[in-house]
Amino acid sequence: MTATLTPTEAAPSGPTEGRRDGALRGRLTFDRWGLLALPLLVFLLVVFIAPLAFLIASSVTDPTLGLDNYRKIFTESVYLRVLVNTFTVALTVTAVTLALAYPYAYLMTIATPRWRALLTLIILVPFWTSILVRSFALVLLLRDTGVLNSIAMSAGAIDEPVPLLRTMTGVVFGMVQIALPFAVLPMYATMRTIDRRLLDAAQGMGDRPSGAFWRVFVPLSMPGVAAGLILTFIQALGYYITPALLGGPKNTMIGELIVQQVSTVLQFGFAAALAVILLGTTFVLLAITSKFMNLERMLMGRS
Amino acid sequence: MSKKVLGGVAAASMVLSLAACGGGGAAAEDTLTVVMWGGGAQKAHVDSYVTPWAEETGVTIRQDSPTDYAKISAQVDSGKVSWGLVEVEPNYGKSACDDGKLEKLPQRVLDAAEKADIDPAQMNDCAIPILQYTFSIAYNTDTFGDAHPTTWAEFFDTEQFPGKRGFWKYVTGGAFEAALLADGVAPEDLYPLDLDRAFRKLETIKDDIVWYDTGDQQVQLVSSGEAPLIQAWNGRISQAAADGESVANEYGQNLVSYDQIVVPKGYANADLAFDWMVWFLENTQAQADDVVASGYGPASPQAVELVPADIRDDIAGSPAVDDKSASVIDYDYWAENYDEVTQRFNTWITE
Repeated sequence: MTATLTPTEAAPSGPTEGRRDGALRGRLTFDRWGLLALPLLVFLLVVFIAPLAFLIASSVTDPTLGLDNYRKIFTESVYLRVLVNTFTVALTVTAVTLALAYPYAYLMTIATPRWRALLTLIILVPFWTSILVRSFALVLLLRDTGVLNSIAMSAGAIDEPVPLLRTMTGVVFGMVQIALPFAVLPMYATMRTIDRRLLDAAQGMGDRPSGAFWRVFVPLSMPGVAAGLILTFIQALGYYITPALLGGPKNTMIGELIVQQVSTVLQFGFAAALAVILLGTTFVLLAITSKFMNLERMLMGRS
Repeated sequence: MSKKVLGGVAAASMVLSLAACGGGGAAAEDTLTVVMWGGGAQKAHVDSYVTPWAEETGVTIRQDSPTDYAKISAQVDSGKVSWGLVEVEPNYGKSACDDGKLEKLPQRVLDAAEKADIDPAQMNDCAIPILQYTFSIAYNTDTFGDAHPTTWAEFFDTEQFPGKRGFWKYVTGGAFEAALLADGVAPEDLYPLDLDRAFRKLETIKDDIVWYDTGDQQVQLVSSGEAPLIQAWNGRISQAAADGESVANEYGQNLVSYDQIVVPKGYANADLAFDWMVWFLENTQAQADDVVASGYGPASPQAVELVPADIRDDIAGSPAVDDKSASVIDYDYWAENYDEVTQRFNTWITE
């Protein structure tokens, strides 16, 4: 994957002076088009940056000034356990989602237009349905007396119902189902732009079809994979409804604990500290990932 | 074009969010905002004993739901109180009253409560009870057709009565009280709770427990047979039974609970809210109407005899249910210990 990226990294070797000048001018000049971004920036400032600052501040000031809230997270086993569980679930969900989404997105690129429309519809219809509704529907499907277990039992495949609801399996099942469009759509968007003649060229130069796929198509599709990965993973970290409905107490995710701190024991500062830890850990993980995957380049689609 | 639209949407939402921040606070003349837990119960309560009062007095009723203690705190702390009458749990009613977050009841409300024979244990300086319910043993009548558990000890006996058990995932939800009764603690010695002993008892059936969060889940769990045995809010089960589901309440050792109604500190129309309280306490017929509509027991014992005979023995506060009751949940204990037990419970339950 890195091999295909290096050429662009090495590219600016020729007339760099002029280009750097242009880039500099581009960075400093500000015409009226820039105003278009203003409403969104102000909006973000009001509804995101300011509350975030307030959140961070209250994590070290409420109820007392200092790091007590953070100390509590690291001294009581439940919070670390739930944090570890949150990341385990998010990573599992991301892995399963990507494994399911990649072949699906690939199929969409090679399908005929009519099939492609159908495949897109299949992905989009659940996307338009409320998460709450879908999670409740999954409860009916997964519970011990639910559709899956009833069918399996009446078919004689199992004697006792297999616990699916209130297990990790149930949570992953539900979350993957919700995350799929967020992985399939960016992957498809990237794969669609890949020039398939490159694969023919690779074969023309003697590579086997599978070799051409792995050495040409897969690396070129990586920006879409990276986008899907990040969208899925970050979303999965914050899931609240799905694990609450489909998981058991042992599958509690950090979002549930945060809500509990805010709405039942009214410890805003501590809830804020939990949120900051979640945010911080996410940044660290993304930083590590980007070391290996060069995320920025991939997301900007400059490969 | 689309950028313009997006910008417009962003700007519009910003204006809206700013308006939401700046608004609220001063309640308009003669309006009262009533906040309950939402759903069918709120509709039944408002229809039975808020709307009739509003029609008599010409007050405009606004509604919000569900009750959110964090929002009460935020409103009281910022001095912009938009919630007038709020249905709360009694442990919150007690600690919020002690913290000065609620309006104190005026004498006329206290007098009306005395006249309505309200149990003083269900009141505090800021709160009157609004309804009663009881934690019953709810069971699936198909699963347990011949014999069903009639005590908490039998509820905990997974050999005699196999299957999952449902408990409310909430420390004041009666699980600790049930565990201690099951372990042989006498009802009069329940409080202060022996938490170590309660956790030990719960531990013995931990793998068989399904924790629910809502009343709808209760009905779903029992009626589907998913958890044929749950500790339930009796009203939910009687209503499901009336709708034809295969569920029933067992009132042996039931644990009586109640909700209170309070006025957040600084609410502009607090006097109006207290006017309503007086009317509510005096109007036992409206309370009885609510029993029929919602399945909850009335605040005043005087209302019990106004309830139609066919459902009277199935409501909290009725002699039939009270006689079998083991205890009333002691919310003074819970006001004191809620936070600490919640943290301990959270740790235990995720282990």
